[in-house]
Amino acid sequence: MKNAYWANLFKNWDKTESETVTIIKKLPIFADLNNKELNEVSKLLHDRTYKPEEYVFKRHAPGEGMFIIQSGAVHIIVGEASGNSQVLAELSNGDFFGEMALLEDEVRSAAAIATDHSRLLGFFRSDLQILIERKPALGNKILQNLSKVVCTRLRKTNELLMQAQSDK
Amino acid sequence: MSQEKNYLQLIYRLILTVIAFGFLTIIWPYISSVITMLIFAFLFSTILLPLVDHLESQIKSRALSVLIVTISLISAIIIFLKSFASGMLGQAREFSSQIETKGYAENLNALAVRLELALKKHVNIPDIDSSNIVSKINDMVGDIIQNVVSLAGTIGGFIFTAIMVLIFTIILLANYHEFKKSLVQFIPNKYFEMGLRLVFNVERQVSNYLQGQLLAASSVAIMSIIGLYILNATGANLTLVVFIGIIAGLANLIPLVGPFAGMLPAILVAVMNNIGSEAALSHQLFSTVPSPFYILDIILMFLIVQQIDNNLVTPILVGESVGIHPLVVMIALLIGGTLIGPLGMLLAVPATGILKVVGREIMFLTRNAHLL
Repeated sequence: MKNAYWANLFKNWDKTESETVTIIKKLPIFADLNNKELNEVSKLLHDRTYKPEEYVFKRHAPGEGMFIIQSGAVHIIVGEASGNSQVLAELSNGDFFGEMALLEDEVRSAAAIATDHSRLLGFFRSDLQILIERKPALGNKILQNLSKVVCTRLRKTNELLMQAQSDK
Repeated sequence: MSQEKNYLQLIYRLILTVIAFGFLTIIWPYISSVITMLIFAFLFSTILLPLVDHLESQIKSRALSVLIVTISLISAIIIFLKSFASGMLGQAREFSSQIETKGYAENLNALAVRLELALKKHVNIPDIDSSNIVSKINDMVGDIIQNVVSLAGTIGGFIFTAIMVLIFTIILLANYHEFKKSLVQFIPNKYFEMGLRLVFNVERQVSNYLQGQLLAASSVAIMSIIGLYILNATGANLTLVVFIGIIAGLANLIPLVGPFAGMLPAILVAVMNNIGSEAALSHQLFSTVPSPFYILDIILMFLIVQQIDNNLVTPILVGESVGIHPLVVMIALLIGGTLIGPLGMLLAVPATGILKVVGREIMFLTRNAHLL
């Protein structure tokens, strides 16, 4: 009883890094964030568990935010569920997906399905908006990083397009 | 087989719902006051949340932001109540001295006789014993005093409720975002993103509505105060101008009925202050329409304030924050008023706004159910 009391009293003295912070600090979206800021972000993340074959989201469903894989595996699928679907990406620990939904209120362009027991961390647009209002400097950093990620993706897509055109 | 299972599941859910509803009905009398306190704490924290969030972005400490906002609010309320109480006391003192020195009873009697004569010219009314009016008013004053004594008892309960609401509001403000996160975690995976969207939209709607209402109430209060000062410049002899303005602003929070309720204190003060004054009794609005005790002037002033507020201030400050049809507003007010009285009328429109947002999202959800 006494131990619990002291542990509670000095809980903020425990500076060991949480599991969530260890995972998110490696992501480009949260690059250049100090430990305090990472802790702040980790408080906003939603811890969700998915069974194998459970949809994280379906194609054309309204997108609200991005997911980070804490453990497990997720497939990103394009095409119809009726058969001619195609696995676009196989994602595992530390990968993230759905980050476009953080920037725009649009429907999902692909589906995401858990292929194993998975623990995902959700980071959603509404939380990012509140973060921008509460801590503008931190919100700004994340938005900048997000823009960098989108730019990198666009550059890669352009390169692939140019390569496909030159192959013709 | 699967259809049978579905039916079983449906019956099981139905039984659970009935049990839950029955349980709630039994415990409701014990928890209703706490729930009301929580609803008020939620409403207050929704109004204050943007302020706390903004302050937090400046001084970078949530606890300090909550402390500053709460202390400022409490100080403002205390200053208001203190000056209101002293103002009321001054008014009462002046009124009682008026009764003693100016032959108030005679004036009131004379007024009653004049009123009776004037009415008889136009309407055929049975004889009223005008001499009895003063004693009736005396009885009424006695009743009022008795009511005030019983009111003192309920004030104790009110102070307790107010302190509890304040504590709940402080806790909610300090941990609002964490509370919300722990609540939404119960939403199943399939509906999670949709649930977050719904919560966010409802939150924004309520917050916009409440802040809009507060701004509109402030503008009505300020305009009423200016209007009352203008009336005073023309000789209306009104006192407690600031408080009448604030009460008019607060009354404005209740749509349709509020604006009229806001006029009453001004009319009351005008009559109380001007009884015995021949000039006030024979006053004419624009030197043409008889307006004893400036009553018509006051009504006209409040109508002008209402028009400016409805057509200029509210559309600019509040916009179409809730966007509910006037007929629906009226029905909501009637239902709210019948269910829980004036409080119901105050909460009717935001509650309808929440229902509208929830309904819109549910419609969107049912249309796109195959996507979840």
